[in-house]
Amino acid sequence: MKKVFVDYKKCLACKACETACAVEHHPSRNLFGALGDTKTQINVRVLGVEHEAFPLSCRHCDPADCLSACPSGAISRDLVSGAVLLNPDLCKACAMCAMVCPFDAIAFKQTHRARYGRDVAYKCDLCNDRIKAGGEPACVEACHSGALVYGEFDRIRHGRAVSGLKNYLLGQNDAMPPLVELFRELRRKECERRRGGA
Amino acid sequence: MKVVTVGTGMASAEFVQRLRLEGFDGPITMVGDEDFPPYSPCVIPFYLAGEPLETVYWKGSDFYSRYGVSARLGDPVAEVDNERRQVITAGGRRESYDRLFYATGARSWYANPEWLETRGVFGFKTLTDMVAIDRYITENKVTRAVIFGGGFIGVDAALALWHRGLEITVVHRNTRLLSQMTDEDGGRFATEKLKEKTGIGIRLKTTVAGIISHHGQLTGVQFSDASSMETELLIVSVGVSPNSEPITGQDKGVAVSAQMLADPSIYCAGDVAITPHAVSGNDGIYATYPNAMLQARTAARHLLHGDGSYPGSINTNVLKKHIDFPIVSAGSFSGEAITWQQGDIWRRVYLKEGRINGYLIIGDTRMSGYVYQLYRSQKQVDKSIKAILSSPRHDSYYREMLGVGAA
Repeated sequence: MKKVFVDYKKCLACKACETACAVEHHPSRNLFGALGDTKTQINVRVLGVEHEAFPLSCRHCDPADCLSACPSGAISRDLVSGAVLLNPDLCKACAMCAMVCPFDAIAFKQTHRARYGRDVAYKCDLCNDRIKAGGEPACVEACHSGALVYGEFDRIRHGRAVSGLKNYLLGQNDAMPPLVELFRELRRKECERRRGGA
Repeated sequence: MKVVTVGTGMASAEFVQRLRLEGFDGPITMVGDEDFPPYSPCVIPFYLAGEPLETVYWKGSDFYSRYGVSARLGDPVAEVDNERRQVITAGGRRESYDRLFYATGARSWYANPEWLETRGVFGFKTLTDMVAIDRYITENKVTRAVIFGGGFIGVDAALALWHRGLEITVVHRNTRLLSQMTDEDGGRFATEKLKEKTGIGIRLKTTVAGIISHHGQLTGVQFSDASSMETELLIVSVGVSPNSEPITGQDKGVAVSAQMLADPSIYCAGDVAITPHAVSGNDGIYATYPNAMLQARTAARHLLHGDGSYPGSINTNVLKKHIDFPIVSAGSFSGEAITWQQGDIWRRVYLKEGRINGYLIIGDTRMSGYVYQLYRSQKQVDKSIKAILSSPRHDSYYREMLGVGAA
């Protein structure tokens, strides 16, 4: 099963993922339509934590606590793509899902998909239509720094385990692109300066 | 092997669906007292608030045909004869079984059941109740309602009818609404905020002492403080009791094993089953949807594969209906209290030996999932919990994971 992997060290907090997600899920499919629209739905959020940044969205857990907690039949799993999907027509915004989600990946508001004039839960749908047509999620496509990767779970996990072991045994670090390394260094310093100064 | 479920509620529907999805092809009969496909009790108040009836059928209105179920509806089971392996309905019908799944849930409890004979007095538990209330409000152009009982169901009823545009008064004998799922301070905070945000009338430390009627039609209610109020609609939601009489002879619930067995051929689950708490170990009826699901899945797995056991229940609950003001609670409210409040948000965690014993998160849900996981896993949090509760950006989980320490 394919998943979206986050390599937070490569995240430059440019928010291209947020923008692409907003456009992808907006009925106009257009940045100018999505801008300034209170119903615009953004399923990924770049969280700044000190000098680090983390593109946060649904992890499509298996088993998924939200799916087991939803009492209205609104959350289901696409057995082909593995995506945990939320049907806003059935959602009652009761927050049972949000109450158990470890990643704070479910939010509430009146989106364009809300049918009854009230808020609904919304979350990442893994761009299910795109991936089932052979494409990538919009956020991954928009990410130019390599922080978001869409790939086979087992293969990527194996690769990371190997590089982690190399790092541990041989002290070989994964080479970070020099510009990303420079950017991280600057951000770390800026963060320190703000902490100390302001 | 013939499987019979007593009850057509959420646990029974999940159980049957699991059996079928895993390839069980024997006959299945579902026996229930109401005449509907399986519906979600959590969703039915939204029907009263004006949303389509179709959405209450959380597994589809074609459930019985889709899963090849013989449905025997509109006739409650009165007795389970476990020696002859038969269930006997109130109407005298018999249904034999090889394996029984007993999940009859709970019903409204009434101190004055005779009140219900008056037109305009209703319980608030079943889809039958909702349909009757909906018809009554429409036919009589009801504009005002009194809700007697301000627990979860009472507040749920109040918010649904408030959303529909009725003028609501909630009468509750305790010092705060939701007195079971909150502590004193949290409950008072939630009560004030609910009042402020909705304009619902709330009368605390008061009960409905009597009803006033004219030719069998409700015209008003008399309160315990001797005052009265005109109303054509009274909803009584002062308590529930489990439907365990057909199996135990009493309404105290049904004790079950870790395999959800009440007897070698009877599984029991849902709001009628007595289970241990996953954290505290205390036996009780933990009547929430996620517990019922896990119980039904445990039973289905045991029936099909002969293995698995129930890990215990968690008493987490959340009330967030019609307004964006969630009230989340879990565990028990004893131990060292750590509280944080700002504006509409109020959070408190009770610690015991440095671990979360219970918590209340009122006003937003943003960190409730993380706190829930810390509670379930019984992690040592005495050093970090203050920062977690007060973190302005709700990023404690990510801070922990990235190893950047508390804010």
